[in-house]
Amino acid sequence: MDAIRPILDRIQLPDLAGKTKPSEQEGGFGGILKQAIAQVAGQQQEAETSMNSFLRGESEEVHKVALDVQRAELSMEMFLQMRNKVVQAYQEVMRMQL
Amino acid sequence: MLDPVQANLERYLDLLGTRQKLVASNIANASTPGYRTRDLDFHFEFMAQAEGGQPNIIEPEGLAGRNDGNNVSMDREARLLAENTMRFNFVSNLMRGQLKMIRSAIQEGGR
Amino acid sequence: MNLFDTLSVSASGMSAQRQRATALVENLANAETTRTPEGGPYRRKDVVFQSESVVSPFSGIFRNEIDATFSQEPTVGVAVSEVVEDQREPDRRYQPGHPDADAKGYVAFPRVNPAEDMVDLMGASRNYAANVSAMAAIKDMINRSIDLVRG
Repeated sequence: MDAIRPILDRIQLPDLAGKTKPSEQEGGFGGILKQAIAQVAGQQQEAETSMNSFLRGESEEVHKVALDVQRAELSMEMFLQMRNKVVQAYQEVMRMQL
Repeated sequence: MLDPVQANLERYLDLLGTRQKLVASNIANASTPGYRTRDLDFHFEFMAQAEGGQPNIIEPEGLAGRNDGNNVSMDREARLLAENTMRFNFVSNLMRGQLKMIRSAIQEGGR
Repeated sequence: MNLFDTLSVSASGMSAQRQRATALVENLANAETTRTPEGGPYRRKDVVFQSESVVSPFSGIFRNEIDATFSQEPTVGVAVSEVVEDQREPDRRYQPGHPDADAKGYVAFPRVNPAEDMVDLMGASRNYAANVSAMAAIKDMINRSIDLVRG
């Protein structure tokens, strides 16, 4: 997670986990985001490993590094978009008169 | 703000730049009597993590010398010129990607 | 890391090869010149190369105290230290009808071997091209570094 700490710190995540009922927590908005973050972190880690391997001269697989980095970037993009949609949906729900 | 990934990329680019300078010097001095080819041990210098200092400039082995002592091989230098350029392009793209990711995180976070 | 100095290195290489080519072309053009303003036949010219540290005009202002020793300085260019004229005795050939023939009928010709100088000229031209490639590659690297700012 260290690799993306500086990045994640800049992403403002609304505190959703505390607002949903405990029984819905894993399936609710918070759960979706947690899953997405885990995937982004995984891709970032993979990309970093590939990059370091190339820089150290251990592997000359340029295409692997390029693909891993692209995948990490795409995951990040997707996550950010998803995060925005989730926040939007959450705000709409909060606005509904019950 | 500089995380280790970017620090590594930057150091790689620095070393590559220095290596390319040596290649250019070798090419310029291809006809200079007595001139010996210069280079640096890229892998060693990169792993040595020396901060800010000048890398050690060495004389590569196995180059045949001519009568006047000059041992510059145009083939070797041309090959290194191309290889350094490609590596530089690739790693600078990686660096650009890192910066872009941080920038988009900053911008998206503003919403 | 200063890549701009490296442009000076390649420029010095190009300049040196150009001077070498100039001398060679002069030799070839005057291979049969028996009469020169200084008197006597044409004397063949040779350029002498020497490694020399190049500092680009812009960075020189910032660099006065920093003194890297020559062997550790990456930017080593080349310069023509002198143009040497052939001091050997000219080639004497027997041609009694020639306007420049001396009393015995011998004419003094330059000691120029056109074949040798042609080959040298091709070498100079290839070296020049290699320096041009080096300069193009360095320029590309500088541009890429500039691109990092563009994002």
